[in-house]
Amino acid sequence: MSPSSPELLAELRAALAPIRVLDSPFEKVLYARDASAVGYAPPGVVCLPLTTAEVQACVRIAAAHGRPVTPRGSGTGLAGGAVPLNDPVVIVTTKMNRLVEVDEDSRTAWVEPGLLNLDLSRQVAHLGLHYAPDPSSQQTCSIGGNVASNSGGPHCLLHGCTSAHVLAIEVVLADGSVCVLGGPEPDAPGYDLRGAFVGSEGTMGIATKILVRLMPNPPTIRTLLADFASIRDASAAVSAIIGAGILPAALEMMDANCIAAVENFAHAGLPLDAAAVLLVEVEGLAAGTEIAASEIVAQCRASGARAVRVAATVEERMLLWKARKSAFGAIANIKPNYYLHDCVVPRTKLVEVMEKVVDIVESRGLIVLNVFHAGDGNLHPLIVFDRREPGVEEKVQQAGKAIIEACVAAGGVLSGEHGIGLEKRDYMALVFSAVDLEHQQRLRDVFDPARRMNPEKVLPTGSWCGELHHVPEGAWI
Amino acid sequence: MSETLMRTVLGLDPDKLVACVSCGLCLPHCPTYRATEEESASPRGRIALMRAVEAGELAIDEDFVRFMERCVMCRGCETACPSAVQFGALMEQTRVTLGSQRRIGSRWMRLALKPLGHHRLLLVGSSALGVLQRLRMIPMSVQPRLGLPARIPIRRAPLGPLSDRPTDAWLYTGCVMDAWQRDVHNAALRVMAATGANVNVPDGQGACCGALHVHMGMGGDARRLAVRTMAAFPGDAPIVVDSAGCGAQLKDYGHLLGTEAARVFSARVRDVGEWLAPRMNTLRISKRFGSVVAIQDPCHLRHVQRAHLPWRIVLSAVADTAELDDDGRCCGAGGSYSITQPELAGSIRDTKVEAIRRTGAPIVASANPGCSMWLSGAGLDVRHPIQIVDEVLHGP
Ligand SMILES: Cc1cc2nc3c(=O)[nH]c(=O)nc-3n(C[C@H](O)[C@H](O)[C@H](O)COP(=O)(O)OP(=O)(O)OC[C@H]3O[C@@H](n4cnc5c(N)ncnc54)[C@H](O)[C@@H]3O)c2cc1C
Ligand code: SF4
Ligand code: SF4
Repeated sequence: MSPSSPELLAELRAALAPIRVLDSPFEKVLYARDASAVGYAPPGVVCLPLTTAEVQACVRIAAAHGRPVTPRGSGTGLAGGAVPLNDPVVIVTTKMNRLVEVDEDSRTAWVEPGLLNLDLSRQVAHLGLHYAPDPSSQQTCSIGGNVASNSGGPHCLLHGCTSAHVLAIEVVLADGSVCVLGGPEPDAPGYDLRGAFVGSEGTMGIATKILVRLMPNPPTIRTLLADFASIRDASAAVSAIIGAGILPAALEMMDANCIAAVENFAHAGLPLDAAAVLLVEVEGLAAGTEIAASEIVAQCRASGARAVRVAATVEERMLLWKARKSAFGAIANIKPNYYLHDCVVPRTKLVEVMEKVVDIVESRGLIVLNVFHAGDGNLHPLIVFDRREPGVEEKVQQAGKAIIEACVAAGGVLSGEHGIGLEKRDYMALVFSAVDLEHQQRLRDVFDPARRMNPEKVLPTGSWCGELHHVPEGAWI
Repeated sequence: MSETLMRTVLGLDPDKLVACVSCGLCLPHCPTYRATEEESASPRGRIALMRAVEAGELAIDEDFVRFMERCVMCRGCETACPSAVQFGALMEQTRVTLGSQRRIGSRWMRLALKPLGHHRLLLVGSSALGVLQRLRMIPMSVQPRLGLPARIPIRRAPLGPLSDRPTDAWLYTGCVMDAWQRDVHNAALRVMAATGANVNVPDGQGACCGALHVHMGMGGDARRLAVRTMAAFPGDAPIVVDSAGCGAQLKDYGHLLGTEAARVFSARVRDVGEWLAPRMNTLRISKRFGSVVAIQDPCHLRHVQRAHLPWRIVLSAVADTAELDDDGRCCGAGGSYSITQPELAGSIRDTKVEAIRRTGAPIVASANPGCSMWLSGAGLDVRHPIQIVDEVLHGP
């Protein structure tokens, strides 16, 4: 970390308020990383703006001092996207968290980027509405971070990821100007720049206001938990359910290691002796959900389920989801560090890839937890380890690379939802040709010709590779 | 912590410190993070700072002390944390270290805590304070800062009814609570007697549990008080507590003192709701409480003792109840927190008051004297839930 120039600090403090521009050594440590273990870099200065105008001011001042900018929401990212590289001015959106206005008729709302995903749903609950994309981190992650990462969640199987729920975005660009991408009408003429921005991970600008789509709460919901003696059977059930023409709202799988870790926290009554469980949810009108639910029970039984439980109460349902959504957080019950992967494989290759993953990890003496969106083949193998064991980090790295290669070899793609960030940037060349990558860079340059927004992220540059996993001793990242 | 390890700067257990995976799932449950929206006031942030100090990356400075002091120690982060991070233990140890270095707890705060162990002195002093208050000799402007209730009792009704037969249960009476909220104790004694139990209270020696001393990093005083308290409750009858903060502290003696006797003692401790819930069928309830009651869970009951659910059983038997929609987030009272951090505490309380108002209930039940006083200060009608049961059984 290098000290910021007194002029830069003075200008930022004059533009915001002195207490919202942080540069003390302890403050910098706090914004040095996100929820992943892929990078750690205490920034020179951290700004906490309240308004779009203040964001503009920060960006302009940074530009005048030749400094890049790294946007940050709640810091739950799992790809190192908010790690401040190249000594940027960090712009944190947590204080811009208002629900600005709700249009009940068109079921849309303008929100500020720092509004937490679950808070949004709670604040519109009295209107019978909710915001559909539900990442497992939804209680903490921000809508701005969701937009930047095009986040998904269990219920995106039916409703689509963030991109399908964002109509317009007000963006502060790298030169400090403001523009609005997209608009309230679903099919705006011209290029879909909104679509390009969603998932840009802070490299095209800072979202300062977002027009989201709200969904009516479904009249009925049925949640089922099916218990299997093998992952193979559980995977067969996934194919059978989808093959039967049912489109569940969510279809999630957890393996035995994962069940053990989350049950310890959530006490949801998960079967501790199961090799895998499927958590399936259907929603809609009462008659339809009943039929779908009984069809799911039948398909699970036919695929070898040992038991299928239907949540009897809202509390029971909430508890099952609490268990599922705490999976990443719960791993310290086994080991303190984790390396999470996020790749999508064709559903038909699910079993094959899963078995390979387990083999790759276990042959290196490591432990893997599998929890994933089975419905769309989005795998999240989590390798858990204790960084303090000698030599373990190297093994984790090797296993990680082997997993990614196995997924790509099976016709998969890199990221389902967590983004590329820093973590997978240097793997981009595995799936894109040089020409593809160049075009992506050109698109990014249209938004940010000076390449000042969130440098070193998403697109490979080669410059950071050597340092990718360099971590200060004892920093426990 | 292993004895062979070198003592680190803060003396934290490395296994506890390493358990946090920085997922951030605790952030929205932390009252100070909600109030500030800054990482420095979040559980994840505080752990990151402890790590930076323990790793020798940064030296303790004013910022570090300030960030640690801003924690309410409500432990809402613990119930939210899927990785079972023992935040309370980390923060307590950090405070003990900062306290031993005289970096936290001003001298007058330490002095102010001293009389809590001398019960008769405390009662006399409290009454004197009550007189001064009536004579308007304590400026209104400083009263909230001193954490004083609106009307300090000058005379207290005697404790009762007490039994002269062998004790089935003890009621723990505490220090400040006995001085300021003896009516709660008497409501508890009446309800407990109505179940047919023979209940007794210890003599003045059982007075102070030492919870505030732990908060202020005064570990030695806390341990001395614990030993004295334990001696005041002979036998093996349950020790029933109507202050969630004291109950949490008594249940922690096993850990604080590390002795078998302390563990046995802690295992006897019950919050009065916990004690009463399985005995509700022994009460003759012939009517219901006149208005809806919003249930406000004290952190020491919900996040520390994890014993907030029995009150649902008890209260729903006598009244219509309403739940808050804030996942049991802290109200900002936090022992002496409302005195040491008035600004943050006030803003945390505002959020809580909004959540209570959203329920529409005119009365709030809170099983901790600190929270009741603090919330009453915002103009709410706050009762101890046992007072609601007592009113249904015995009239107002
Ligand atoms: C326990 C756990 C479970 C998770 N589960 C899921 C899941 O189910 N699905 C999923 O998709 N993800 C999941 N994630 C990952 C993460 O929560 C999401 O990527 C989330 O969208 C990040 O939001 P954030 O506010 O924390 O963003 P941050 O981590 O702060 O930032 C993420 C990226 O967005 C950029 N950014 C943030 N705000 C803005 C803005 N206003 N404008 C422009 N760029 C911005 C940052 O620069 C960074 O590149 C999980 C994470 C955890 C810890
Ligand atoms: S304390 Fe627990 S919930 Fe909070 S960041 Fe650490 S691991 Fe996550
Ligand atoms: S104890 Fe309470 S105030 Fe302190 S970090 Fe945890 S949740 Fe926040």
